[in-house]
Amino acid sequence: MTNQQPEIQSNGPSKGGKGYFKAFRSYFSCVPMLGWLAGIIAAVLFERFLGDQISELLGLPKIPVLFGCMIMLKDFSLIPSALAFLVGVYFIPILLVGRALAPVFNGLAGMIYKISPMFSVVLHLALLYLALHLWADLSAYRLMTLKFTLVAVMLTLSLNVINGYMGEFSCSHPGFMALGAYAASVFTLVLFTNDRFFGEALLSPSMGVYFFPVAIILGGFAAALGALVIAIPSFRTRGDYLAIISLAFMFIVKSLIENLEVVGGPRGLGSQPNYASLPMVFGWTVLCIWVINNFVRSTLGKALNAVRDDESAADAMTVNTRRTKMVGFLFGAFWAGAAGGLFAHILRYVNPASFGLQRLAEILAMVYFGGLNSVHGSIVGAVSISLLGEALRPLELFKWIIIPLLLILVMIFRPTGLIAFKEFNVKQLVRPRN
Amino acid sequence: MKRSLSLVIGCLVIALALTPCAWAKSKTIKIGINAPITGDIPKVGEGSKYAAQMWLEDVEAAGGLEVGGQKYKVELVIEDNEAKAESAVKANTKMITQDEVLAIVGPQSSKQAVPAGGVANDWATPMITPWSTNPDSTKDRPYVFRGCFLDPFQGPVVANFITEEFGAAKAAVLYDVASDYPKGLAEFFKIAWEKIHGPGSVVAFESFTTKDADFSSQLTKIIQSGAEVIFTPQYYNEVALIVQQAHELGWQKPIVGSDSWGSAETVNLCGPDCYGLFFSSHYAAAGATGSTKAFIDRYEKKYGYVPDDVAALTWDSLGIVQKAIESMGKMTGNIEKDRTAVRNALAKVKDFEGITGKMTFTEDGDPIKCAVIVKINDKGEFEFYKSVCP
Repeated sequence: MTNQQPEIQSNGPSKGGKGYFKAFRSYFSCVPMLGWLAGIIAAVLFERFLGDQISELLGLPKIPVLFGCMIMLKDFSLIPSALAFLVGVYFIPILLVGRALAPVFNGLAGMIYKISPMFSVVLHLALLYLALHLWADLSAYRLMTLKFTLVAVMLTLSLNVINGYMGEFSCSHPGFMALGAYAASVFTLVLFTNDRFFGEALLSPSMGVYFFPVAIILGGFAAALGALVIAIPSFRTRGDYLAIISLAFMFIVKSLIENLEVVGGPRGLGSQPNYASLPMVFGWTVLCIWVINNFVRSTLGKALNAVRDDESAADAMTVNTRRTKMVGFLFGAFWAGAAGGLFAHILRYVNPASFGLQRLAEILAMVYFGGLNSVHGSIVGAVSISLLGEALRPLELFKWIIIPLLLILVMIFRPTGLIAFKEFNVKQLVRPRN
Repeated sequence: MKRSLSLVIGCLVIALALTPCAWAKSKTIKIGINAPITGDIPKVGEGSKYAAQMWLEDVEAAGGLEVGGQKYKVELVIEDNEAKAESAVKANTKMITQDEVLAIVGPQSSKQAVPAGGVANDWATPMITPWSTNPDSTKDRPYVFRGCFLDPFQGPVVANFITEEFGAAKAAVLYDVASDYPKGLAEFFKIAWEKIHGPGSVVAFESFTTKDADFSSQLTKIIQSGAEVIFTPQYYNEVALIVQQAHELGWQKPIVGSDSWGSAETVNLCGPDCYGLFFSSHYAAAGATGSTKAFIDRYEKKYGYVPDDVAALTWDSLGIVQKAIESMGKMTGNIEKDRTAVRNALAKVKDFEGITGKMTFTEDGDPIKCAVIVKINDKGEFEFYKSVCP
């Protein structure tokens, strides 16, 4: 759904397949973000009102949930119908609305931008939310996938701060996530839920929804506190040694929770209240992207890059390296903890086994697939790996051959990831294209 | 540009022409299987899948399920949960809302069954987890049932059996503290044992962590504690190591296990060291009779190995679902009403004759059924020794 259109101006169409593609891109390069969002909303509305009839006409059992991948992989004879649905319901309306109304949207985007760039960004976000809401509203499965994908975006971004911007290889993210997940769960369970772990609710359960952000922030702080614990002894280490210390931290957190009978030990902690609605998760994800994007573009963010490239040079240039590393590490951990809190309330169950090596591999794959040192990249990496993982579900075992193979290919042809070392300029994104 | 547009339209026309036109929606009943086909425990997923496919063959041979005098075709929707909690939740959501299954069998492990059961209950879809022993899976969830007995029952069964069989008064326990099933069962065994023999009669309560491979320090402690028997509720890979290392250290007294021993791999890995040992289980493959034997023989012929308890429990869970569907009266065509009807029929199932014993559900959705004590005989087969009923 994140339709990031590249802004490449081509020099007119040339012959051949590549020429067609270039011509296609230049033909649509004048469509502003507003136009794409309007196109997506039009497509989603189209699907909402006519999707059932169209899929019936095409002989599909139901509206394809994840762009038809599941249907195509399960029953090969349905590939043409699923493709037809995809083209007819998504591609054509999006391209048509986007291109045909491009002048209108360019004018509109220009007008809004003139009022205030901030207002323009907020408006775009509202439209994006509307599109996602309408899309996810059609099926609970889409909604579930979307929520987990948004959490994955947060996790990937927060790890990118440490592994990409700071240049340290940290392996403790599942540990931070676990701290956040358990802290937020304990908060909501103690205060707002009658459950068998902590007994009666201390406050009225109806107030819980309003206090949920507090729970998430608490989760974030718990993770940051954990980060502080490993940051202090590991100041003197770099590279591989930090990786090993952080890996050890992950195992310590896991064993700690396994042995803490208060929070259920290895059996886990369940029945969290259902507070993680789509607006809540979306809001947190947007906040996370916004804060991290501002952070990495700030002086402190640039100092992080300087420390990564050459620590002694940075020190000579009056960068307080110790403080910079500390802030970067704690900041990344905070957002991992917040993501963990959301994760626990979407799944409504946490157990220590969820925060092991497998989770680490997953997050690392998303970071390196998307690209180091790039907010774009993290979003693309998290969304593509999460959606691929869901869409290739019918392939069972082969899914675990295809996804790693893709990773290998990306590492060979783009060693730093798909979109690495690129600044995410939101104002540029919402500007009119003329 | 015009050319590219005409190309797209051309493609679309061809795609539409190739499409088989709206076929009439046939009346089918869909049953979902949520199994760990990839991930940590693929053998468990494989067993569930094979058992489900055998069940489907039977139903198809009978021409479908008969509900209210009408035959309905059955379709299985098998989803892989990767042995992960969030994946199991997604798989359940998908099967309930996309595939519109009437009932779900699975997930197998508790860490997937607890959250997935929450989803099933929220959507009012009946779900039977064949293998999960965590009480939370079914607790306060009217739509979630279980196919196996629980640890609070199994612990005392083993404690009583050891007392009667070996006349031991001092026992040692060796278990994995990081895995929920062994830990829970070890604690229930300790409580039951101390109830019979008095406090302090569990002379050694030793633990280790998942993926440990050296147990000599724990075993040395156990040997020195003067214990007369070791109880170790572990999975097959650890069982082999524990038993072999105990024998190397000179332990000659009995070692007793629980239903997690009941995998074909236990004997493959452990070899003659495990011969003559006992464990509690859901069913015994060697010396089985009647429908149990028929199931085992058929499975072995088809897939080349003796089915373990997961396959048998999945088979029984599907059998119960079948019985419930057939006894629910009639299909209304409204999936929500039908699911509730299946749930009500499930709650009423009495004395279901499964291959793992007779089953009746309690109010919590847990079955009342007998445990079996199995002896690993000199050929390495799991032989029925005795049956213990609640």
